[in-house]
Amino acid sequence: MKKTKKSLALFVAASMLTGVIAGCSGSPSSSAVPSGSTGGNVNSTAPSGDSEPQEFTYPMTGEHAITYWASLNETVSHDYTNLGETPFGKGLMENTGVNITFQHPPTGGAAEQFNLLIADGSLPDVMEYSWQTYPGGPEKAISDGNIYALNDIIDQYCPNLKAYLESRPDVDRQCKTDNGNYYMFPFVRGDPGLQVTMGLMIRQDWLDELGLSTPTCIDEWHDVLTAFKEKKGASAPFAYEFTMGSLTNNMPFAYAYNAPRGFYLGEDGQVHFGAAEEGYKQYLTTMNQWYSEGLLDPDIATASFDQVSAKMTSGEAGASFGWAGSRMGVWTNAAIATDPNFNLQPVPYPTAKAGETPKMGQIDNLVPNQGGVAITTSCKDVEAAARMLDWAYSDEGHMYYNFGVEGVSYTMVNGEPVYTDLILNNPDGLGIAAAMVAHIRGNYNGPFVQDLRYLSQYYTIDGQKKSNTTWTVATAPNYALPPVTPTPEESEEFSAIMNEINTYRDEMTLKYILGTESLDTFDNYVKTLEQLNLSRAIEIENAALERFNAR
Amino acid sequence: MKQSTINTGQGVSDSVRAAKPVDRTSFAFRAKKDWVQNWGLYLMFLPVLVYFLLFSYKPMYGALIAFKNYKPALGFMGSPWVGFDQFTRFFTSPFFGRLIKNTLFLSFELLIFGFPAPIVLALLINEVQNKHFKKTVQTLTYLPHFISLIVVVGMITDFSMTSGLFNDIIVLFGGSRSPLLQNPALYRPIYILSDIWQGVGWGSIIYLSALSGVDAQLYEAATIDGANRFQQLLHVTLPGITPTIITMLILRVGRLMSIGYEKTILLYNPSTYDTADIISSYVYRVGIQEQGWSYSTAIGLFNSLINLLLLLITNKLSKKLAGTSLW
Repeated sequence: MKKTKKSLALFVAASMLTGVIAGCSGSPSSSAVPSGSTGGNVNSTAPSGDSEPQEFTYPMTGEHAITYWASLNETVSHDYTNLGETPFGKGLMENTGVNITFQHPPTGGAAEQFNLLIADGSLPDVMEYSWQTYPGGPEKAISDGNIYALNDIIDQYCPNLKAYLESRPDVDRQCKTDNGNYYMFPFVRGDPGLQVTMGLMIRQDWLDELGLSTPTCIDEWHDVLTAFKEKKGASAPFAYEFTMGSLTNNMPFAYAYNAPRGFYLGEDGQVHFGAAEEGYKQYLTTMNQWYSEGLLDPDIATASFDQVSAKMTSGEAGASFGWAGSRMGVWTNAAIATDPNFNLQPVPYPTAKAGETPKMGQIDNLVPNQGGVAITTSCKDVEAAARMLDWAYSDEGHMYYNFGVEGVSYTMVNGEPVYTDLILNNPDGLGIAAAMVAHIRGNYNGPFVQDLRYLSQYYTIDGQKKSNTTWTVATAPNYALPPVTPTPEESEEFSAIMNEINTYRDEMTLKYILGTESLDTFDNYVKTLEQLNLSRAIEIENAALERFNAR
Repeated sequence: MKQSTINTGQGVSDSVRAAKPVDRTSFAFRAKKDWVQNWGLYLMFLPVLVYFLLFSYKPMYGALIAFKNYKPALGFMGSPWVGFDQFTRFFTSPFFGRLIKNTLFLSFELLIFGFPAPIVLALLINEVQNKHFKKTVQTLTYLPHFISLIVVVGMITDFSMTSGLFNDIIVLFGGSRSPLLQNPALYRPIYILSDIWQGVGWGSIIYLSALSGVDAQLYEAATIDGANRFQQLLHVTLPGITPTIITMLILRVGRLMSIGYEKTILLYNPSTYDTADIISSYVYRVGIQEQGWSYSTAIGLFNSLINLLLLLITNKLSKKLAGTSLW
């Protein structure tokens, strides 16, 4: 099934791109859509809108069916082919009274299928996507006539979300457009402790054995990695998935020089592009030195998760960068069977020089760019979609999304939810992550407010439990760019510019690290970035930031 | 088959009787006669016709958006015309030169090394006398064709890593380990060799069938004239399969510029963009990943134009030089 879908997608993709657009069967449903002006008042299209919010109780009465497009979390897809088959999915339908047909793109093909669906115009009723990446931004998705502005829908059907947003202006600001339009049922990191998700990790058992202390700055890292290489025979002392954008965007060693490769908020209150700054050159110089000394994974440009995992668990690598759950936990559990001493511990974000305090580090926005659900203009039963989604923001729904069903997947102990053995020691032998995703969405994402209380129970390994505090950089939020969006007009220009800049930057970054290009040419590289119109891109981002601040 | 001849026999006499006053050389008459005679064949052809109309001709209408700024919401007709803007953007892109160069180099190298490979294999297999050995070789060389591209590339990637199989072999011959897929100079050789490995057996089938069609009497005559096996190959076998080779060559040249993006996007990484990034992978990045529908269509159209041109040139050349051509 998945295979067919994928090959179908590929086929369609291929035919579109040889100048033979297949999706030409008449103009999409757009003509029937109340698109256009910025206000986006769409309550007229919502059928049967006469039930009063106060009188409403779940589950909904009558027949309600909606289609729900979302990428299926990888851990879920291990045991289930459809979210609707999971206990979570079944319970969601029961509780809300809405019959949901989930549609999932092939793993890793979400963006492709999303873009093809948009081009084709035949949209499912609701779509879960990283809506901030919609080309042109969410406002464009509304003005393109693909999704509804939710303002009136929220007023009418979503008392829970409305109350939550009213109580959290900081969240509220991050889930609407510059024009004040709501566009999705957001995924919210409900606690600052949930916003820091990735960081460095190191083999503590090696450090202890070699009598080394935890490295805090670049020089100390250099010494530790050298020791790993020489004394522990590590062929790739530091290894991680360099090619994975979400990781490399937050590369800790680049943060050490205050130059992440993408956009960040400078101390002057302006948007900066790290990869064009002096700090980035220093970062590249260090990386190049490490690479030539054999301290970095020699296969840095091609290594995928499986290959990095192999290196981390076999002792070829001694330090890495990534998530506490899907990296530290997975590797520890895999390696501990053969090496009982295997001990991965989190390491704080490093500094360029000894004795400094780190200024920048990875931090997610309160409303990260994932898991948000929008109602498309193809949706016939807007009320059912809205009510189904709004339930997640009620007290009952909040517990359901984060902990599941009381008495089944959790029990209340001293007023705190505690997972049962169904989750923690699954009778069918499922790991915690696999058992969780069957019953809840709390440990990944989705349209709900994430609860911090899941985390301490999810993290079972010592290193994981410490990860959050270790990786937190107090000043990191000051440098994080909020979810700003260019105007629809500017965004086309912006994405055209950034496509070329990113291609060029990624290529040159690797060349500098691998040493195929001398760092003496860095000035030329910056000049080329300018020729590719970087300053215009920054200008667009600054304007977007101004509009965001004015929200 | 027999039945249809009987049918047509009756059909002809019927139609002749009915169409007496009609000019027998007119198109309508001939068409009707043809239909009555061959309706069965036309029926068999129908699915093919529908296929091409549906999947090759109807979509051509979509190429329109290369001259527009296509917005799904506005539809095909509603999107504003922008003339040649999309083409200008491509021609002035900083990567334009490199994309063309890489596409051409990869295409021509694939043609030069990839095209003769199955012919050579077919000739070699043809010379093998032991039937069991022959069958075994054939089967083994077909096999890679049936492996999914993703798996093939996964194998290549693993083998090319510093600790991978290829490096083990290099070390065996006294070389030193290096990440092969991070070296732009090695990218094309890896691409082409793996392509040959995967396609050579499958590609040789058509030549093997052409070889079996070469008249055995010619070999006898050549042997009597004292030709050795190599001379037979040169003067009997090769001329015998030349028409097949030419046809395959023209078809191949017609697809010269349209190398699929699948293998490239699976195999490349930013450190090898220098030699690896080709038009189709660029189109994939811009078109599918960033919704640049019109832009990528314009590039695709440009690509198709070059293909058409190459096809015409090759056909003409082959008509002149070898006397064989597609039309």
